[in-house]
Amino acid sequence: MKIAIVSSAVPFVSGGARNIVDWLALKLREAGHRTEVVYLPFSDDPARLIDQHAAYRWVDLSAADRIICLRPPAHLVPHPNKVVWFIHHIRYYYDLWDTPYRGFPDDATHRDLRDVLRLLDTTALGEARRVYTNSATVQQRVSRFNGLDADVLYPPVLEPERFHCADYGDEILYVSRLEHHKRQHLAIQAMRHTRTPVRLRIAGAGQNPAYVDELHAIVDRYGLADRVTIDVGWLDEDRKVELLSTALATAYIPFDEDSYGYPSLESAHSRKAIVTTSDSGGVTELVDDERNGFVTEPTGAALAVAFDRLYSDRALARRLGEAAEARLGELGISWANVIDRLLA
Amino acid sequence: MRVLVANNMAPFIRGGAEELADELVRQLRARGHDAELLRLPFAHEPAEGIPAQMLLARRLVLENVDRLIALKFPAYLIPHPSTSIWLLHQFRQAYDLFDAGQSNLREDATGLEVRDIVRRADDEALARPRVFTNSSVTQDRLKRYNGLPSEVLLPPLNDPERFEDLGDEGYVFAGGRINDHKRQSLLIEAMASTPPQTRLVIAGPADSAADADRLRSRIAELGLESRVTLDVRFLPRDVYADYVNRSSAVAYLPFDEDSLGYVTMEAAQAGKPVITTTDSGGLLQLVQHGKTGWVVPPDPAELASALRSVATDEPARKTRGAAIRKRWLSFDANWDRTIERLLA
Repeated sequence: MKIAIVSSAVPFVSGGARNIVDWLALKLREAGHRTEVVYLPFSDDPARLIDQHAAYRWVDLSAADRIICLRPPAHLVPHPNKVVWFIHHIRYYYDLWDTPYRGFPDDATHRDLRDVLRLLDTTALGEARRVYTNSATVQQRVSRFNGLDADVLYPPVLEPERFHCADYGDEILYVSRLEHHKRQHLAIQAMRHTRTPVRLRIAGAGQNPAYVDELHAIVDRYGLADRVTIDVGWLDEDRKVELLSTALATAYIPFDEDSYGYPSLESAHSRKAIVTTSDSGGVTELVDDERNGFVTEPTGAALAVAFDRLYSDRALARRLGEAAEARLGELGISWANVIDRLLA
Repeated sequence: MRVLVANNMAPFIRGGAEELADELVRQLRARGHDAELLRLPFAHEPAEGIPAQMLLARRLVLENVDRLIALKFPAYLIPHPSTSIWLLHQFRQAYDLFDAGQSNLREDATGLEVRDIVRRADDEALARPRVFTNSSVTQDRLKRYNGLPSEVLLPPLNDPERFEDLGDEGYVFAGGRINDHKRQSLLIEAMASTPPQTRLVIAGPADSAADADRLRSRIAELGLESRVTLDVRFLPRDVYADYVNRSSAVAYLPFDEDSLGYVTMEAAQAGKPVITTTDSGGLLQLVQHGKTGWVVPPDPAELASALRSVATDEPARKTRGAAIRKRWLSFDANWDRTIERLLA
């Protein structure tokens, strides 16, 4: 089959949305499909919003047998065989409207924009053969705001077989970009409250130097340097696999994310329990408390209890870790499933 | 500098322009720039759909880009305050192909209207500083139809170091894609009336199996199997260069090409004289009859006499080989200078 994957991107900015597109293209090609990736630029300037939606509407991909649309407004592209794998709305006009993130006034102009955008989205999503979302959270938003039924289709990581488990060591591993909303600071705070020799390693690229400094300052202030390691910088994939293979468990405690996040998946593929918090959003679609990890209150003290329990009871760490891997199968998180569903 | 290279994409088809765009991105990166490629889908059928795709290009918003280098219509309609255009060709269906009756635009009201819309958009978009053309043919067309000046910037060779004269093993080499447009069949017909010591090697990927089959059966019908070698495949670069470097001369007979063509440039780099035809277009800038090669009418008898001359007149072969190399090097087409001009 000739398949075009359509997505939007800001030039020179890479993010999770590019991973899912590039990985999907690779897997479709492996499955023998001729696959083109079409990335179109997009700016979230409200003054250019409608213009750009018109542009996407004029894209002609009739040379493809099927198109798969990801990051908005890619779903505006018309095609008789359109499948949408919807990863989020342009959220300022949806769930973030009544929040400080909106960044423009709640006036007649912007309310009109919002209403037009919602109408466009509802129309374009309604044209698709199928709409999938990457999480239950987004599925609920599509239902609530656009009145449409969508199926959840969880995105896998590339080559999950790379990950393995060698041991359950002393270290809770938190792999993620160092960003305030990922709350690495909260994980460090937890280390003030632990009663066992459990260790914490934070690893990831830091684009915000002030936040990186803040993390180091917390470690210094509470004298945690002997038990907390911070590796700043893009983590090499092989090194990540190795760190995960010997970790005791992982932490992933972002604030209110839409989806479960690749770090949780990588943890599960390495048979490691995931410690998250009740306000982490999509992560709790994957993690059940005391079954394949812990879902604690978002406080240092509560996280510390989970860290200590894992350290003191390696059999528990193993049992929860094995359950984390099993949970991926239950949720159908695999490329074979993704390709089956997207081409159905 | 963050440089976005914008090219067109005909989904599921790749050609020389795609190779050039990829190479430009690589060469920019090699010089320390951030470079990314934008491939804008463009369907030239149906003709009525062309204006919408022009509007599409006009409505895209490029954020986070310091310089746009656009290569084709309608990619060069994407607005950006700092744009260079390296025009590989205009939309020829609205220009010379229209006048020659070879356009998909018909001579009816709609066809004429689309033609005029394209021409007016070019009048505006190409009237700016930093418009470069890839050959004097493209330059002349832009001058003739739109009255606009441009600077010729020849696409350089990507791997000039591979091409050198490694002697003369007594065959004429016809490289490049195999199809009707490149007229390898004329060479085979010509071979039927050449002396027995004349040999021809045709090697390259065929556009279709039928293209290769036609040549193969004609060689058999004419009983030329011992003197004409047909090597149909995508040749690794070292194999291709070896064919060029050990040949007596290179034959390349495309119909009315805009540019010099890589086959011609590579032959010249290796100091091999070129056989071509009077209607081959852009490569005649490099190939001059009696000086740097043989330029004859597109007729088997005429080509046979050129092949005969290659086989029997060693001094002419040597003089013309040296002359074509000298002429090519005088064009000063290299990536350092090309990028310097494009980013000026």
